[in-house]
Amino acid sequence: MGDVILTMKDIDKSFPGVHALDHVNFEVKRGEVHALMGENGAGKSTLMKVLTGIYTKDSGTITYEGKETEFHNTREAQDAGVVIVHQELNMLGHLTVAQNIFIGREFKTGIRIDDKKMNDEAKKLFDRLHIDIDPTETMSNLTVGKQQMCEIAKAISHEAKVIIFDEPSAALTEAEIEELFKIIRDLRKQNLGIVYISHRMDEIKVITDRVTVMRDGTYVGTLITNECTKDDIINMMVGRVIYEDPKTESAVPENAPVVLKVEHLHAGKMVQDVSFELRKGEILGFSGLMGAGRTETARAIFGADPKESGDIYINGQKVTINNPQDAVKCGIGYLSEDRKRYGIVVQKTVAENSTMACLENYMSGLFINKKAEKKVAEEYVESLATKTPSVEQLVVNLSGGNQQKVVIAKWLINDCDILIFDEPTRGIDVGAKNEIYKLMSRLADEGKSIIMISSEMTEILRMSDRIVVMCEGRKTGEVKIEEATQEVIMNLATRDIN
Amino acid sequence: MEKIKQHPIVKKLGFNRIVLCAVLILMYILFSLTSKGFAGLPRILSALNYAYFLGFLSLGVTFVIATGGIDFSIGPVMFCAALVSGFCLTSHGMPVVLCLVISILVGFLFGCFNGYLVAYWTVPPFIVSMASMNIAKGLASVFTKTQSVSWPQAAEAAGWFRKIVKVGNFPVGLVIFIVAAVICSLLLNNTRAGRYILSLGSNKEAVRLSGVNVRKWEMLAYVICGTLVGIAAIFYVAAYTTVQPGYGDQYNNEAIAGCVMGGTSMAGGLASIGGTVIGVFIISLLQEGILAIGINKNYQLVITGLIVIVAVYADVVARRRKN
Repeated sequence: MGDVILTMKDIDKSFPGVHALDHVNFEVKRGEVHALMGENGAGKSTLMKVLTGIYTKDSGTITYEGKETEFHNTREAQDAGVVIVHQELNMLGHLTVAQNIFIGREFKTGIRIDDKKMNDEAKKLFDRLHIDIDPTETMSNLTVGKQQMCEIAKAISHEAKVIIFDEPSAALTEAEIEELFKIIRDLRKQNLGIVYISHRMDEIKVITDRVTVMRDGTYVGTLITNECTKDDIINMMVGRVIYEDPKTESAVPENAPVVLKVEHLHAGKMVQDVSFELRKGEILGFSGLMGAGRTETARAIFGADPKESGDIYINGQKVTINNPQDAVKCGIGYLSEDRKRYGIVVQKTVAENSTMACLENYMSGLFINKKAEKKVAEEYVESLATKTPSVEQLVVNLSGGNQQKVVIAKWLINDCDILIFDEPTRGIDVGAKNEIYKLMSRLADEGKSIIMISSEMTEILRMSDRIVVMCEGRKTGEVKIEEATQEVIMNLATRDIN
Repeated sequence: MEKIKQHPIVKKLGFNRIVLCAVLILMYILFSLTSKGFAGLPRILSALNYAYFLGFLSLGVTFVIATGGIDFSIGPVMFCAALVSGFCLTSHGMPVVLCLVISILVGFLFGCFNGYLVAYWTVPPFIVSMASMNIAKGLASVFTKTQSVSWPQAAEAAGWFRKIVKVGNFPVGLVIFIVAAVICSLLLNNTRAGRYILSLGSNKEAVRLSGVNVRKWEMLAYVICGTLVGIAAIFYVAAYTTVQPGYGDQYNNEAIAGCVMGGTSMAGGLASIGGTVIGVFIISLLQEGILAIGINKNYQLVITGLIVIVAVYADVVARRRKN
């Protein structure tokens, strides 16, 4: 390990309503792999975005190669040698490998692009990384792993001195990860500073030299990797914060009937052999880190995405759900984490959105019975305390929390008994959050059964009667609320050290 | 200005539509002043002849645009329907009633074809309708052996169908068109089909996740459009007698112009039948006026082209402001 190449000190950044970074410190040395860890929303990405100029910091200093620096955009950062390798690859599939690496700065002779020179230069980069990729190959023919290596080569070609890997292994196979690590070790030998963002505990142990942990936008501490255990890191990640109002015991009797039973559900890489039961009147929390496959599981159950295999039973009866229509007929309602895209039709009114799932019940002959529609919409505006001037208001004009209530009304009007709430309070302010919580508890009391996917530990511990934990597409555990602690859940949500 | 816009009567009628009506009246006054003899029944009846078939095209394409799609095959399909049914009448001696049904059937089938490809195979509407435009032209030419077809004159026994346009000087066509527009408006605003068509034009995924069979309803929009195009063909031949194979695309632009001018958004989700009706009258008056003043008829192409761009740009600006 060499001298410090990059220091971020007292970095502060606020967005309206959120203190995203609270005086965070971070440093990288030459020839070190430095892990950056933390729960979802801990501020890792924000910190890296401040570093590379996507966000402007409110205060604090960034010292790079001994000089105080501020990059105004990624281009400036790149030119100075600070490069991000993103989780989602930014490659143009129809171009060749070399053309992708040198996009925007092609070698030219006159006005002609000099493909030969680009291929030669790309070959040199690959040789330096000891990887075997043909620069003339079309990008879309490569595997995800190989494409990522091209990203790395592209980063190197910028004369990078600091490379940030943002969850690089998420889409890779075991063999590809091995290869990636070989390259990272190589880069370390070449004295580059490497930032490695990942949730995978085993990788952290294998590849990194130090670990910096963040929590809720604050800096928690930095450890030397081979002197600490997984538990040390988890303890730092979850902290000792006392969470508001956690549930202490399940409100659901042991013998409550099972309303939904999912067995051996498979749907792509993100849903692997998931089985669980949901009881009447229960709020079943789904916890896990980003990319654990919770949303994918919900969408597969709801028929929004195709599934490969697995059985679903409702009230003991086996059902076939191939599309959302089938699911709605079975009395399942799905509230997406992305309301604007999947929940509401913004150009329609509150009333029109409310009856979207069961318009056929509000017909008189051929025509929509707008009076009845209005009446039922008003009923639910009142019972859910939705704030809207009238049910004829377009939902686009409502706040996030009230839009969420319109979506809830849609499923209640359809008389759904099983409700899947996917991140029900994301992007909703604190007051409205509490209202949604109360509403969920009330619905459970009334006998509705709820699956609640949440990335917020507070929410999980406060609302759930039982918690299913997922990690990388698999169910890794099931915890009763009486036994649930942050540590237990986080342990299940992260991969074990092999 | 804002005050006027917020007035309950203005809100009910729609500010946009009131402006369009004013434009229509202004245009009429302008043409009457610049061209001798423009004011008077004959010109109005002539403009109406144009408005009927264009109106049905425009009503039809309103449903498709409401889904966020587009149909460039309406003009050629109208000609195809008129040619195929006309050929059945003149060369095979089929009864007129049957031929009128055939005309509607041809439009209906093209609607099914377009709608199925768009909704179930998810081929982009632009491509589908461009392709079926050529298919319609080609089929019509093959069927009629590239001969133009003339429908019977009013004086002939088989010419009775022309009464759908006018009886004496009474514009029966106008009545039929307005009734059709009212039915379309009810269909769009008061039935499940219309509700789902508009909703899926605004956010298809949200509608799908509400358990609605979006494919069925999206296809239906094209089927409604095709059927109305088949009816448009009847009004075309009732007014203009002769149809030539290989044409029809000039009406696409005019029908779409009438529709977007009336406040239907190219992005889908927003549509106004009333607006479409006024838009159609404006386009029809425009072509009659240009004819009357005696300037080069091709200016009409230029003007309708510009109208489409201006109307769509206005919609884009309005959307950007909302966001």
